[in-house]
Amino acid sequence: MKKIILLCLAAGLVFSGTAIAKGKTLRLALDADPKTLDIHEQLSAGMLQFSHIVFDPLVRWTLDMSFEPRLARRWERIDDKTMRFYLRKGVSFHSGNPFTAKDIVFSVNRLKKSVDFKGLFELFEEPVIIDDHTVDIKTSKPYPLLLNMATYIFPVDSVFYTGKDNKGKAKDNIVKVGYSFAKSTLPSGTGPYRCTYREHGVKMLFERNSDYWDKKSPGNVDKIVLSPIKEEATRVAALLSGDVDVISPVPPQDFKRIERDRKVNLFTVTGTRIITVQMNQKRSKPLRNPLVRQAIVHAVNNDGIVKRLMKGTATLAGQMSPEGYLGHDETLKPRYDLEKAKQLMKQAGYEKGFTANMIAPNNRYVNDEKIAEAFVSMLSKIKIKINLKTMPKAQYWDEFDRQPADFQLIGWHSDTEDSGNFYEYLAMCPDRKTGLGQYNSGNYCNQEVDKLTLESMVETDMQVRAAKLKKIERILYDEAAFIPFHWQNFAYGARKGINVEPILNIMNFPYFGDLVMK
Amino acid sequence: MRSWQRFRQSYFFYSFKRDPVALGSFSIFFFLFMVSIFAPLVAPYNTYDTSTYDIMDAELPPSWMDDGEERFLLGTDIQGRDLYSTMIYGLRTSVFIGVGAVLFQAILGIIVGLTAGYLGGRVDSTLMRIADIQFSIPYLIVAIIASAIFQLAFGVGRFEELALPLLIVIIGLSEWPKYARTVRASVLGEKNKEYVEAARVIGLNRRLIMFRHILPNTMTPVLVISTIQVAQAIMSEAALSFLGLGMPVTKPSLGSLIKAGFEYVFSGSWWITFFPGILLVTFTLVIILFGDWLRDVLNPKLYKG
Repeated sequence: MKKIILLCLAAGLVFSGTAIAKGKTLRLALDADPKTLDIHEQLSAGMLQFSHIVFDPLVRWTLDMSFEPRLARRWERIDDKTMRFYLRKGVSFHSGNPFTAKDIVFSVNRLKKSVDFKGLFELFEEPVIIDDHTVDIKTSKPYPLLLNMATYIFPVDSVFYTGKDNKGKAKDNIVKVGYSFAKSTLPSGTGPYRCTYREHGVKMLFERNSDYWDKKSPGNVDKIVLSPIKEEATRVAALLSGDVDVISPVPPQDFKRIERDRKVNLFTVTGTRIITVQMNQKRSKPLRNPLVRQAIVHAVNNDGIVKRLMKGTATLAGQMSPEGYLGHDETLKPRYDLEKAKQLMKQAGYEKGFTANMIAPNNRYVNDEKIAEAFVSMLSKIKIKINLKTMPKAQYWDEFDRQPADFQLIGWHSDTEDSGNFYEYLAMCPDRKTGLGQYNSGNYCNQEVDKLTLESMVETDMQVRAAKLKKIERILYDEAAFIPFHWQNFAYGARKGINVEPILNIMNFPYFGDLVMK
Repeated sequence: MRSWQRFRQSYFFYSFKRDPVALGSFSIFFFLFMVSIFAPLVAPYNTYDTSTYDIMDAELPPSWMDDGEERFLLGTDIQGRDLYSTMIYGLRTSVFIGVGAVLFQAILGIIVGLTAGYLGGRVDSTLMRIADIQFSIPYLIVAIIASAIFQLAFGVGRFEELALPLLIVIIGLSEWPKYARTVRASVLGEKNKEYVEAARVIGLNRRLIMFRHILPNTMTPVLVISTIQVAQAIMSEAALSFLGLGMPVTKPSLGSLIKAGFEYVFSGSWWITFFPGILLVTFTLVIILFGDWLRDVLNPKLYKG
């Protein structure tokens, strides 16, 4: 038996050796592999990373938050509700079918059917084909974020996904649980790589698309081997021992270790996910007092959390919108000042403090449990005693909606990469019917914020819009509507000779097609 | 005074004095036990009070290493708590849970075992089947269900105060069949002896016979398993806390300290796990060693000349 295993190992070595000799292979380890092969089935960072490998979006974000043309060569606004996209010619899918405007119509319609994406594409109407390579994307209301949403439109092969499969089911079905053609067939996209093999939870193989349209892409990786490694320490060990070339995410406690090691490099990008704690004004009387809320914000040493707990892997926040967002206001600085906090408590008449409770997840955000624990310790210094209960994310979101606690921790990433999304979900008066303020468990409610947010949703003049968003951010800051902590950074570890930096961006979707490997 | 005299002249004390393992393990155990009982006096900081530490002191190494500070002898954990104080408080929690859970399971187990053994018949088989069923349910599942129910019943806020009694009940509940079985076996051996029959002949009632006459004669094995059970309960608590089902994060026990430090072992902050780990191992080891010696001494079949 031992001999056979040895033989197998030797054979494996020989084969992998020849594979490396032929071209460059990138061995990539992520915390999880894509859940499905159907890119319209699930909205998650993992799926969008996968989409960027096998498909191409119409436009994509650059590192400095501007748009880069991809399958759309250029675009222009026709009117408030219409944007015309001029598509790239001579692009074909992995199946050989040519890419045309029909695929855009098919993809947008499919996105509107998908449970996960339909919220984002609610305002979108069926695109109108002008000719084979020109298409009008329309929305039912004036929509300033149409281009932001175009980064989510990865055209899929309409010919490949139309018709019936051999089980008699429609090929374009989107099924979350159970069989569907799209989720179990290797996909046909236009992207830099074709997916050639997949064993869920074990391995996924991608091979360079030799007919890729973007001849200017500097990418020189011929093959990507993606292996999911769930355990953080194991993932880091795999990188350090040279078993894999690139890993992500890198746990903060191992940053130093990777920086110290001469064989590997660490790359971090400022992320846009804000970590906050909401103060429930409906449940707790003291929290209705803006002075108390101000005191709490002043008592939170979020700088200490960023430095000590996050080890500098987060960007200190004083507001919701990160830099680059329209609502970001540079004058809104973090406010840690314990003396002032004590004073404010005195002013509010809560010198002796009060008791409250808090819930937080323990496996959703980086160091979430420890952040909550530190928060409890910080508030005890202004005599607010907090009973903390942490729980796994599987339980947490149901609890979050029930609002059993005065303080609840939530991290939020704006899917549209726009400030408006923060306010819509986290700051507007909660309204069960319209879904506005759906994750505002603080029950903060200010009519002006509501009005401005609704206006900004339909304002297409970017300057006017920015002014409105900044005003909202200022109001939230002045009234201490929530407690900001930091924006989580993304981290990648890579072996020397692989420079991941140029392919990273604020959304944590690395563009592996452009990766250069030495 | 006379009973003390009797104790001093007993074989038990005689062999205790002569056995270095027993002497050593008992004195370490006694020392740690006292330290944990008087934790507020011994520990330099009360780390269960969240306002006494600061995040800016987080992850300082022990005082004799570079960057270490005089204030924190064994360094600090990730929240900035003094590790030395936290370990003492953690040990205290572990001792409370260990002793509490053993008392709980011993009382429950002895009553069940005594009743089952003495009454026999249908009562016996019913009670012992219940014990079998209880024994086959892993305490982890009991812990998960119980904490969910507790939370529903008392709300999120009370969890912090109720975690300790809850853990005692959970660990106690899952281990009582051990006592029940042991006691029942001894009772079966005792109940047909002459003194029991004599008591029955005089017309004493059943309860009196069970508790006054039979029970004292079954105490030897109970004492022996108790020592092991204390160690076991402390380790169960450590395991539960390690999984996040135990004490709240603001009141770390030894187990939760070990868990919190576990993530940092590879990254260089070894002390957060190392010192509590050593303490836990030492404490359970001395209890087990002492229990071992107790078994040898109290078992008449194992007289060692």
